[in-house]
Amino acid sequence: MKLDKGKIINSWPFVIAILGILAISKIENQYYLGMIFNTLLWVAIAGSWQIVGGYAGEFSLGHAAFFGIGAYTSTLLYIHFSVSPWIGMFIGAAFAGIIGFLLSWTCFRLRGHFFTLATLAFGQVVLIIATSWRSLTSGSEGLLLPIKMGFWQMSFESKHAYVYLVLIYAISVILFTYVMERRRLGYYLIAYRENDEAARSLGVNTFRARLTASTISAFFTAIGGTIYAQYTFFIEPESVLPVTLSIQAPLVSIVGGLGTPFGPLFGAVLILPLSQFLRGIFGSSFNGLHLIIYGLILIVVLLLMPSGLGPVILKGWRKITGAQVKKINASG
Amino acid sequence: MDILVQVVISGILFGGIYALVSIGLTLIMGVMDIVNFAHGEYLMVALYTTYFLNQLWNVDPYVAAIAVIPLFFLFGLLSERVLIRPTLDKPAFVHVFVTLGLSIILQNLALLMFSGNFRSISVPYAQYSYEIFDILINYPRLVIFIVGILVAIGLHFFLHYTWVGKAIRATAQNKNAALLMGINVQKVYAITFAIGVSLVGLGGSLLMPIYSVYPTVGFQFVLVAFVAVVMGGLGSIKGAVIASFLIGLVETLSGFFIDPSVKQALYFTVFIMVLLFRPYGLFGKKTKVA
Repeated sequence: MKLDKGKIINSWPFVIAILGILAISKIENQYYLGMIFNTLLWVAIAGSWQIVGGYAGEFSLGHAAFFGIGAYTSTLLYIHFSVSPWIGMFIGAAFAGIIGFLLSWTCFRLRGHFFTLATLAFGQVVLIIATSWRSLTSGSEGLLLPIKMGFWQMSFESKHAYVYLVLIYAISVILFTYVMERRRLGYYLIAYRENDEAARSLGVNTFRARLTASTISAFFTAIGGTIYAQYTFFIEPESVLPVTLSIQAPLVSIVGGLGTPFGPLFGAVLILPLSQFLRGIFGSSFNGLHLIIYGLILIVVLLLMPSGLGPVILKGWRKITGAQVKKINASG
Repeated sequence: MDILVQVVISGILFGGIYALVSIGLTLIMGVMDIVNFAHGEYLMVALYTTYFLNQLWNVDPYVAAIAVIPLFFLFGLLSERVLIRPTLDKPAFVHVFVTLGLSIILQNLALLMFSGNFRSISVPYAQYSYEIFDILINYPRLVIFIVGILVAIGLHFFLHYTWVGKAIRATAQNKNAALLMGINVQKVYAITFAIGVSLVGLGGSLLMPIYSVYPTVGFQFVLVAFVAVVMGGLGSIKGAVIASFLIGLVETLSGFFIDPSVKQALYFTVFIMVLLFRPYGLFGKKTKVA
């Protein structure tokens, strides 16, 4: 009986999550639906980034490239060959996975800062290619997706459908990370992050583990690109390949807590509504002010809580629920 | 043919700006093991400072440099104390994102205060040129080139023949050993960072006569500087300078022969190649800071 009560309390987050998911269908306000879409998209992007960035500690600043590759692959296949975005999404993801594999295979011999700088340069190269290869991508004019609604076209009238789509995407990423953390791959990556030499001396092939992780990371990131393209019906290099995307992916993970499956969730829920809210207040009258506040919050969080806000919140949550469990036990 | 020679020379001369930006960056990276992602934004602030000194009090950009250098030295000391020092004992990603945060703040502060407009000043000598063997050498570019080289030489002597310079090199080689020898490593870090920032300040003043300033101007320069630092070999000032001039050359040549928009893609690809095949840079040995 005691156990049941404890279980009920511990399952609160899931109850809240399910209620939240059900509540989405009741929200009609387009602004909030857009905010939820954005937040969930970033849960997934940051989650994809941290498969290699958080667990292996390989700090990529080029993940926009994979997002853009996903968006452009599915969109071009859709426009020119009428390939359904559902299929294009996985083709794009596979393509991004291959590129991610090749990039990592060549760059993983670089340690620390040099890996970060190489990925930053790689992201810029892809951005420049997308901008200057006009015959393929029509450059900075961008690509307009055919507006033809239907499930097979992954194009929906209501924002609800997109929110559920991106929700499935975000849950898949979190679930994958959660499982990975408890499997061999997760242990290998963490072993590499903590002490490469020790891991290798125990026979762990850390290079292969990192390659696997970065391929998967690129794969998942690219899926986000397709969903975003289908949501906005328009892509251009500056919207799907900006360096700000490469920066925000690790940022969300760090604020939420690096190397934890739910870190990106905390990070995105804390950051994205806040930045949208700040932009709403200051965006028109004080251009740039919202980003200044954003930058300040970032610096303060990093300096005071480098392990992120997620663990702090979790600790607080456990304290509250733990206290309640005790009380129930005492009364029962 | 004449045009080609002309292009080559103006490219090499412009490399002086990259040299001033990348010398500071390589010094900071080599000594403190920190990638300063806000380095380009210091250049942007220097450009705005020079711009407003010129607009408000009609100060010549080259004269403004005399004020900007000490000002930026203090600016560097301050930002090192407030932002960099607290990150030094934390994981590497902390300093990466603190400097990125600083760069976001500075960029948007500029946007908020000065709007996104391109601003430039007009000085009479911006178009002055010397003619040598039918080749025109632009006066402001020549100044950039000469100052870039002089700063590199001066810094070399400073690092090798002064006590502070030796302390900086000792810290770069082995922080703990330097600490045991009684070197105040914290102070060395502060001075190193401030020197790097004041060199960028100097670069900003010299660049203003021939360039426009806008809030995101720093980003492209810092990217070039990263390339130069890595190509030159981490912490190698000589390497960074040579790489800077090479980049200036490649940039103008590729802009001349190929599409100007491709030039960046070109040297980023070169950059990744260098990283892969010569991880210690084209001129670098395994030692840091020389």
